[in-house]
Amino acid sequence: MRFNEKELVFLSRQPPERAAELGMRGPKKGDVVKRRVVKLIVNFLFYFRTDEDEPIGALLLEQCRVEREDDQVFSIVFLDEAERKYLFECDSQEQCVEWIDAIVKASYEFMRKNLIYYRTEIHRLTGTDPLEQYGISDETRFQVFLVLQSASIHHCHLLCFL
Amino acid sequence: MKLNERSVAHYATCNSPPDKTGFLFKKGERNTAYHRRWFILKGNMLFYFEERESREPIGVIVLEGCTVELCESESEEFAFAVKFDCAKAKVYKMAAENQAAMESWVKALSRASFDYMRLVVKELERQLEEVQEEARSSQAKSKPKKHQLQPQGAASFQPATISLQNATITGPLQEGVSSRENGVSWSKPLSVPNGVSDTQEDCSERGDGVRPPPVPPRRKTNGGSLESPVSPGTGCFSKLHDWYGKEVAELRIEWLQSQ
Repeated sequence: MRFNEKELVFLSRQPPERAAELGMRGPKKGDVVKRRVVKLIVNFLFYFRTDEDEPIGALLLEQCRVEREDDQVFSIVFLDEAERKYLFECDSQEQCVEWIDAIVKASYEFMRKNLIYYRTEIHRLTGTDPLEQYGISDETRFQVFLVLQSASIHHCHLLCFL
Repeated sequence: MKLNERSVAHYATCNSPPDKTGFLFKKGERNTAYHRRWFILKGNMLFYFEERESREPIGVIVLEGCTVELCESESEEFAFAVKFDCAKAKVYKMAAENQAAMESWVKALSRASFDYMRLVVKELERQLEEVQEEARSSQAKSKPKKHQLQPQGAASFQPATISLQNATITGPLQEGVSSRENGVSWSKPLSVPNGVSDTQEDCSERGDGVRPPPVPPRRKTNGGSLESPVSPGTGCFSKLHDWYGKEVAELRIEWLQSQ
């Protein structure tokens, strides 16, 4: 699959939300822990060799699950291949917790849910759709359709429909 | 540079609803011909497929940091371009099938960035806090006479078409939160559930100032003051959780695990 690598590399140079040197282990059998500089920028996790400017790779943080593996270790798995784990070793429990929190919040989908919540609450409290003033209330990405209770809820279009 | 391509491709076709889909003509990477492709926009990722039925995308354009411009094309009407700030960046030229489609795509793509979404969310978070603050203080004051419902920073509350009618702000949020029967539809003005209150606010605040949408932010270069992404106060999160309902959360986990 093609992707705009140059632009992604450029993105990796932007001020990160969070950056640290961590122990990182890839998902393949036989992968070992290596020290990497890990940077969280928008919904991407970039990882670099400790002395290099160009990232070795990037992980798009959508449709993934972050879990605490150990006191100082967390993992990221992608939902389409949940048996493959990326492991990250932190220097402290605190750091581990902070990274997990940051990564969970680093997805577009997560932000969308927050937005829908705020939009709905504000509308409920004031009668005004807060997005009207910006003229973006019709944008698909901001839509809210709350399915009334029972509808067979297989796909999670509970909160976010086209 | 490596990318978790399989998972990225999966994101394109998984159940989460896309922000926009449709056919567009895309100028080839190597040759100059325009090819009709099926596009799926999700978040800040623009995927393109050979056909609508294709299971795997040919490619993806990460839209973070891009600008979208209308452009002149010798061969195509309704052409626009996705451009990036970085050196030697590719320019992605695309063309829609009509004016309306072009405008719609340009609008959607220019607001597709994570940064923009974060901006909007922060703004709404701030507004909600203001509204809640206003609710708390008006509960305390409990004015007997009519007055206009003016939240702080009222200038920003200028509903274009929706007028505030009997908008009673209930103090404790749990009231509204507990009823999952509230179907919220955005196609008509919402009748706000009336809490029990002495003050009947009859507000017909009609402003016609429609603010322009927040400008999609340019790349930050000023030493990046990026605060942490949306992290509403714990209070909001617990309400978020309550509001979604435990049942919903459980179903969601089930659904995620079944993917």
